[in-house]
Amino acid sequence: MSIAMIPPSPAAPFSVPYEKYTLGNGMRVILSEDRTVPVVSVYVLYGVGARSEEKGRTGFAHLFEHMMFQGSKNAPKGVHFKTVESNGGTLNGSTHPDYTDYFEILPSNQLPVALWLESDRMRGLDISAANLANQKDAVKQERRLSFDNQPYNTAIVDRWPELAFRNWHNSHSLIGSFEDLNAATVEDVAKFFRTYYAPNNAILAVVGDISIPETRKLIETYFGDIPAQPQPNHPDLTEPPQEGPRSAVYRDPLAQVPGVVVGYPGPARRSPDYYALVMADVVLTAGESSRLHQSLVKGKQSVVRFEANPGWPFQGPSDYKDPNVYALFLLHKPNFTGKQIAGQVQEQIDLLAAKGVDARELERARTQLRASRIKEVQSSLRRATLLAQYEMLDGNPAWITEELGQFLAVTPEQIQAVAKKYMTPEKRISLEIVPAPQAAAKESN
Amino acid sequence: MRARFTVLCLIGTALMAQSVDRTKPPQTPPLPAFRLPPVSESQLDNGLAVALVEDPRFPLVTVRLSFQAGSKYDPANLPGLSQSVGAMLTEGTKARSARQIAEDLASIGGTLVASSSPDALTLAGSALSEHAGTLIDLVADVARNAAFPEEEVALHKQNRQQELLAQRSDPAYLADEAMHRVVFGSHPYGHIGPTAESIERLDRHALAAFRDRLLIPNNATLIVLGRLPERARMLALIGEKFGGWERRPAPEAPQARFPEQRKTLVLVDRPGSVQADIRVARRAVTRREADYFPLLLADNILGGGASSRMFRNIREEKGYAYDAHSELDARRDAGLFSAVTQVRNEVVEPALQAVFSELGRMAAQPVPAAELDDVKNYLTGHFVLGLESQDGLARMLNMVKVMGLPNDYLEKYTPRVRAVTPAQIQAAAERHMTPDKAAVIVVGDGAKIGKSLEKFGKFEVTKADQ
Repeated sequence: MSIAMIPPSPAAPFSVPYEKYTLGNGMRVILSEDRTVPVVSVYVLYGVGARSEEKGRTGFAHLFEHMMFQGSKNAPKGVHFKTVESNGGTLNGSTHPDYTDYFEILPSNQLPVALWLESDRMRGLDISAANLANQKDAVKQERRLSFDNQPYNTAIVDRWPELAFRNWHNSHSLIGSFEDLNAATVEDVAKFFRTYYAPNNAILAVVGDISIPETRKLIETYFGDIPAQPQPNHPDLTEPPQEGPRSAVYRDPLAQVPGVVVGYPGPARRSPDYYALVMADVVLTAGESSRLHQSLVKGKQSVVRFEANPGWPFQGPSDYKDPNVYALFLLHKPNFTGKQIAGQVQEQIDLLAAKGVDARELERARTQLRASRIKEVQSSLRRATLLAQYEMLDGNPAWITEELGQFLAVTPEQIQAVAKKYMTPEKRISLEIVPAPQAAAKESN
Repeated sequence: MRARFTVLCLIGTALMAQSVDRTKPPQTPPLPAFRLPPVSESQLDNGLAVALVEDPRFPLVTVRLSFQAGSKYDPANLPGLSQSVGAMLTEGTKARSARQIAEDLASIGGTLVASSSPDALTLAGSALSEHAGTLIDLVADVARNAAFPEEEVALHKQNRQQELLAQRSDPAYLADEAMHRVVFGSHPYGHIGPTAESIERLDRHALAAFRDRLLIPNNATLIVLGRLPERARMLALIGEKFGGWERRPAPEAPQARFPEQRKTLVLVDRPGSVQADIRVARRAVTRREADYFPLLLADNILGGGASSRMFRNIREEKGYAYDAHSELDARRDAGLFSAVTQVRNEVVEPALQAVFSELGRMAAQPVPAAELDDVKNYLTGHFVLGLESQDGLARMLNMVKVMGLPNDYLEKYTPRVRAVTPAQIQAAAERHMTPDKAAVIVVGDGAKIGKSLEKFGKFEVTKADQ
């Protein structure tokens, strides 16, 4: 007997059926039914993010995300958390460069509860001075916890965007400064709500153990009469043409191990180059068979670990509309400099540009991508987020299954071409993060 | 099941046809019944326990191979050994180089990672279902034939030193380290990772000796779930790959005493910290003890989510923290209960006071009926939410095996949560939560917060960089 007794069967397809429509007030709705587990995910995405902020108001989109949990007309402070959790569910919200999103995952019999809560806060928020002051504190505490008291994160969240982008809307700190947070008034918050948290600037996705006709009725009941608002303006996010490489050094008092961020401005979303760049990223960085793992962690033994993706430091390419930077973050050994590491990464990219990929390597990359997409969509929340994000970013939720075909069709020549076109030393942006613990000791004395 | 659900929805619709009352949460029907997929259990002649679960939702297969070989089995002079064995299993076997393993995995859309918990070392793998056979072959190869090549061990040691430096620059890691040391003392649960010295001492003989002693079939459980080939073929393949694996004398679990619980105050001085990381922790129960379910409910009432007491008080009312929660980590030989928050330096005193007061209240007063009902719904609902992915299901099944729980544990989870009374919760909190016997750990800038802490008693001070 041998392993051949279970021969590889043909690749099984996967599908995510869905229905999309628009309410009279302009709110877009996407529904997807899957009765296998009695769970439902409700996901609401608003077309406003940190890049929508104005000067002097950095951190506003994120502060506002917190205000969305501070109470609405019929669900006062604490009721949102309590209602979801006491019905067996979980919830959260998050702020991204180009959108802000909210979700509830609940046992499926509780769907009306989630729709009641989401519609109540879309209808009107309790924007009081006390709630605002309290959430300014929570946001500042979040900043201290997740950034100011952590190695690398200040460099990544504050310094990296400044270096990577030239347009202020793209380059300012996404979590914002304490000064700007302090300056936010109740009137600012109310205006922000009216402008951006309107049904015509929102997408609702409901995925899981639902009946589509019943869910349509519930959504019409809860959301149908929320009035539309004038369509908000979006700032011009265009980046000026790049004039040569950029680099900087950040001395991190909390870091012990040196790191470097290496980035290259990427192609436009959904252009043919975009798919090729994602495939180049898989070949370079996905898993331990990747070129960077084999050449730098193993071969040169210079890098301890790394992460990379076309939306870094966010989770993936769907965190940004254009413009976007493909970036890698590498922690390395102290006997190498960040410059040397950036050079070693460049060598690998240059090799890809010069010699391309062989057939087996490309086949592996395709299989990895297919598997990771199938693993991803097991979760109803992930299906809901992808459907809504593709609707917002591309106007087409069908990318949830169709996108894979675009990636799988990328040719070795296209991968070689994007490496040559985008990932050159002239276009490289790098940020060295140098441990400076002595500086911390000195400051604290 | 589906028919019943449809009827319930129709009732819902009839109500909606009238104008909806927005002032109150909608009334909802009961949750439709849901049963876990059946688990088919068997055992090979060499003692390997096998559990197969057909879960056809997605074209994937998920594997767990777990051993009673977690960090509590680390020799005293080699803390971190179990972790290192886990990391090195996939770095080369007699038949495959590290690179070959990585490429074979990529070719089947697979991942395979070994991780070490206090009790168990678990190989967790997944792949596209059409490659189930290759995944099983890889799991068997790394579990049985790891070669621990000299040059890979040397590289692992270098990188682990750097990783340790990076971990120890994170205040949460420092807090966990001190908490385990105080709560578990010299018991092997008292360490959470290696030291620079133990990494230095590590060599391939130590790795192989640990593997030969503990990674044996009669000390292991194999779980395979997903869209599987027909059962007889699957079992034949498992027999082929694991059947020749030799049984050895089963190792004894380390027996060590836990220190007596008494109030212990520790400040880990981290100059430059802009906030203070607080842990108030006690040794608690295992899942086999009668107090487990009452304590699980107590833990969730206190700090289990955004409507828990700690979150409401410390974050939402006082604005001291972004994160305020509690955890119950129930292991095989003991549990660890901890209340956790990170606060700005100026409020460390009232924040610690607030944590103590919430802990005291759990023991002093019975939980009101409505609050108890809410937390029961929270826990039973979350249980269902965890079943969406193969990984979630595999994690639950593996927990039952690793903790040595009866097979009906998952089935009985919901009724057991439902049965807990306020008096049981109060008694469990009195025995396992009160601050008078707790380890109180604060990681922060001693120059800035030392004075505020004096009010609670004498803190033992350790340095962050030691």
